[in-house]
Amino acid sequence: MEHVIEAENLTLSYGRDEPVIIEANLKISPNEFVFITGKSGSGKSTLLKSMYGELVPRKGDLNICGVGIKNISGSKLNLLRRYLGIVFQDYRLINDWTVEKNVMLPLMIGGFSKGVCVKQAQKLLKHVKLIHKADKYPYELSGGEQQRVAMARALAHNPVMILADEPTGNLDEYSSEVIWDLLKNAKEHLGTTVVVVTHHIPSTLGIDYKHFFLESGVVYEVS
Amino acid sequence: MKSLKNHLSVIFPLFVLLFSLQFSFLSNQIVKDYAKKLTEDYTIVVVAPKILSQAVIQSRVSGIKSIQEISSKNILDRLKGNISSKNISLLKIALPKFYSIKLQSFPNMTEIERIKQKLLKSGLVSKVETFSKTHDKIYRMFESLKNTAFVFSVFIVIISVLLMFKQMRIWLLEHKERMSIMTLFGAPFWMKSAVLYRLVIVDSFISTFLVGIVFVVLPQIDKINEFAKTMDVKIPQFDLIYDSVTLLGISLAFSLFIVSLVLRKMNKE
Repeated sequence: MEHVIEAENLTLSYGRDEPVIIEANLKISPNEFVFITGKSGSGKSTLLKSMYGELVPRKGDLNICGVGIKNISGSKLNLLRRYLGIVFQDYRLINDWTVEKNVMLPLMIGGFSKGVCVKQAQKLLKHVKLIHKADKYPYELSGGEQQRVAMARALAHNPVMILADEPTGNLDEYSSEVIWDLLKNAKEHLGTTVVVVTHHIPSTLGIDYKHFFLESGVVYEVS
Repeated sequence: MKSLKNHLSVIFPLFVLLFSLQFSFLSNQIVKDYAKKLTEDYTIVVVAPKILSQAVIQSRVSGIKSIQEISSKNILDRLKGNISSKNISLLKIALPKFYSIKLQSFPNMTEIERIKQKLLKSGLVSKVETFSKTHDKIYRMFESLKNTAFVFSVFIVIISVLLMFKQMRIWLLEHKERMSIMTLFGAPFWMKSAVLYRLVIVDSFISTFLVGIVFVVLPQIDKINEFAKTMDVKIPQFDLIYDSVTLLGISLAFSLFIVSLVLRKMNKE
């Protein structure tokens, strides 16, 4: 597969409203680290949503891991999402599940045995320095801790690609560092493609990356 | 705590539904038994010039269960002191035959009138006494008892169905977020819905068990038995196998149907 994400003249909108993204063209290769930046309301999160199939293109084409999103069936979309790791700005953890079970979710969906799920979840919780909170519920954690749990969940099944929407948006320095380290490690050691929507690109990241900038619905590649 | 609340919110409407259904079955059984008792107690008396055969009268008039001759010995014995034995013998021959007729089911007034007319037109009897006034009173009482029990059961079933639908809306809100998160990670439909299905299956068993306990204990309570005795009815026993299986079947079918409706709605959204 030459590109894990390929958009051609991609136009996105909510219902019949004005387009949020206008005729975007972008190509992302496997194992690339990509930043999508832009002002608030420029359409960054909308673009990311289309990448995990929550928003269907109004015009143009969008291929994710070789699968066309435009007319994708429900079952195919389900299958595609099992290869993705998604981190949301608002964490989206299941509140009546423990931290450990939340991290296990993608593995459970993948059909792994309970033993494997628990082992992998504990390994990742150690990475995000939250193993001591494995039995807690998300509402018992701080925002930073919840985002680290969300990151552990996104990495649990070694996804082909991680799509992260402002993963460090409201976090303290320590939690932000943990998140960037995890994303960097995923790219460097697991060969994962990482797409991050953010306001600021950290200056201390120390890896090559691709950068798309959004302004008034138009996507520019920053060289 | 939340899990207990989740269970209770399913168990309560299910319990109300099953209780009302079992109550309805119970009152139907009581009404049936009562009708049987009334039928056994009710007789039509006929006067016939000749001996009547059960087979003949049954072939002419439908709905007749049995006939029995009423002995005239008592009447003749009373006259023995006043009339000579020769005249008694003559009177014995001349006296018409009296019969009591039992019916197959408890009749309404139209049915009584039909039987009466058929008997009179058959040429086998000369007079028919149906005790219709007394019967009409009892029949009306019986009908109102039956209707009250039916209306009460329907009323409770409607309430419990409404409760279940209200619960359904709460489920919709409570599980929507969890299911949408699972959807974003590619969970198949069965996995997203497993939690709800498991919940209602477990709660169906619990509700059936609780209703079973109530209806096993109910006939053991002295006050209830005394009340039933004054009403001249017997409270039927709860059949542990038949009634439990019936209630469990209804509970499972009903709750699974509702959950499927909820999930379909969620899936569409």
